[in-house]
Amino acid sequence: MDLIQTLLDGLMVGGLYATVAIGVTLVFGIMGILNFAHGQMVMLGAYTAFFVVSAGLGFWPALAIGMVAMGALGLLLERAVFRYTLGDHMQGLTASLGLIMVIENLAAAAFTPDPRNFEPPLPGSFQVLGLTLSSQRMLVLVLVVVLVVACHLFLQKTRIGKAIRAMGQNRTGAALVGIQTSQVTAVVFVLGSAMAGAAGVLYGSLFAITPYMASAPLMKGFILTVLGGLGSVPGAVLAGFLLGVAESLGSRYLSASFRDGYGFILLIVALLYFPRGLLGQRGKMRV
Amino acid sequence: MSAGAQAAPAAIPSPEPMTLRQRVVGAIPWAGWLVLAVLLAIPALGGGRYLVYLGTLIALQAALATSLNIVMGYAGQFAMSHSAFYGIGAYASAILVASVGLNFWLAVPIAMLCAGALAAAIGYPALRYTGGVHLALITFAFGELARLVAANWDTLTGGPMGMRVMYSPGSFLGFDLSSAKGLYWLAAGMLLVCLLVTELIQRSRFGRGLVAVREDETLASFLGVNVVGYKVAAYVISSMLAAMVGCAYAPIMNFISPDLLSAHETISLIGVLILGGIGTVAGPIIGTFLFFGIPEMLRVARLYRLVVLGVVIVVVALFLPQGIAGVVRQRVERWKRGLR
Repeated sequence: MDLIQTLLDGLMVGGLYATVAIGVTLVFGIMGILNFAHGQMVMLGAYTAFFVVSAGLGFWPALAIGMVAMGALGLLLERAVFRYTLGDHMQGLTASLGLIMVIENLAAAAFTPDPRNFEPPLPGSFQVLGLTLSSQRMLVLVLVVVLVVACHLFLQKTRIGKAIRAMGQNRTGAALVGIQTSQVTAVVFVLGSAMAGAAGVLYGSLFAITPYMASAPLMKGFILTVLGGLGSVPGAVLAGFLLGVAESLGSRYLSASFRDGYGFILLIVALLYFPRGLLGQRGKMRV
Repeated sequence: MSAGAQAAPAAIPSPEPMTLRQRVVGAIPWAGWLVLAVLLAIPALGGGRYLVYLGTLIALQAALATSLNIVMGYAGQFAMSHSAFYGIGAYASAILVASVGLNFWLAVPIAMLCAGALAAAIGYPALRYTGGVHLALITFAFGELARLVAANWDTLTGGPMGMRVMYSPGSFLGFDLSSAKGLYWLAAGMLLVCLLVTELIQRSRFGRGLVAVREDETLASFLGVNVVGYKVAAYVISSMLAAMVGCAYAPIMNFISPDLLSAHETISLIGVLILGGIGTVAGPIIGTFLFFGIPEMLRVARLYRLVVLGVVIVVVALFLPQGIAGVVRQRVERWKRGLR
């Protein structure tokens, strides 16, 4: 019973990681923009939700506003900064490190470093078959599944989703067959940022919100993107659930204080033995 | 006979007298060293306590930036774990000296060896692949993990509250390093060691191989450079130097906390390198002066300094990727060749 309970807890947290990982997969895995400021968007999304809920509008508007606001911020950043760094991973990484400093320090000044919480829409817990499940965590899991499925359908079925995948395979080839690569890049960045916003709102409904909360989700998002296979959305989601379960089992049976360390060990093992990731198509080049 | 005499000047560069421009350009590095010597001497000779303290901090930061420059500037690999190794060096030497009771000068090489072994273990899996993205990810994750370990291993590191350090490095070759000025010389010595290693690397076959790897890994492998080995070696050397500088941090600050290992410290170091000029000897020092020296003297609030720093990193990354020393070097090269 204890094991099943732990596994279920892991799946719920894993769903949260998967949401961050989808954003990172879209922006980094498909577009090749190494945006370390993605974690800051998760943080800003959580603060947006906190202020909207505090204003008395409730959780659902907070989720919508958080996603729209982060999508807009993503559009701004893409147009102002990342549009110019497309050819060079390292230039984009450097620029995003600068953005981290700006966003984090401004957030610390504006919001104060005190941890904040907002009331989740479904407090309490319920019992099924002798298992105690937190209602809010269950809701988060359902929402994550909805987001993941929506994102997957968007990429597979719509015209622009196909254009995004084509660009992920070959940017020049996509441009040759008439895809407006500049516009599609902006769409991907907005989509990835909106996913970060959604992840932030969901994070905020479970954990404390601080200006410095960004590095854990960011690190996990990147680990999952590599673990799932660069550019593979299903791979990132699968890896997300896997990491959630691994962390949950590890902190239950090994040591809780190294919770964030298990993902790192998974990453090292993955890089050593499965450099393509779980569902990655493309091999990695090596010299 | 005459044919041989004709061919010789073409094969061997002729000992023509250097033009004035070439002499001026050749003197620039020496002038740079002279300026550095003067700057290093100012706090030691005629400074008050504040100036000595400030000089110590700047020398430490410059040493750290110089050591990061080896892996980032010459090898072109994005290592986000630099502050973690800095912190590991500080913790390792402090534990060795305070708990085990070793001599400080014995603890430094042991701490460096520990850091080198760790760096090799992390660097190898990540650096096997081309492109450097894996190293950025894995070192970022490692840095966070190291910070977690430092914050949670209470019995050894004192946990999140940090650790008091109550020893002084003692004397070195007859110099007493326990006073404030002695500690300044310790930091300045670390900077000089890092600069020396950089110079040696830059002038060696190894350094030229690293630059080839940075410019094009595939081409470098065709030219017979052991790409993975060179990248791992650069990462290990750079991390060992970071640990060495960390050993000096402990007795200078008298206090170590897990925050020392956080990724933000590495981010500001990367900013320093980018602004000063990545892949140049002078770049890290120029960058450190601009980032830490001038704002410290102007007493700008820490918060807005970091915000301005972030904006500067973005702007420089977009518009001036070669940094100040890089731009100067480019201009000087063009002037030397008479292109204005």
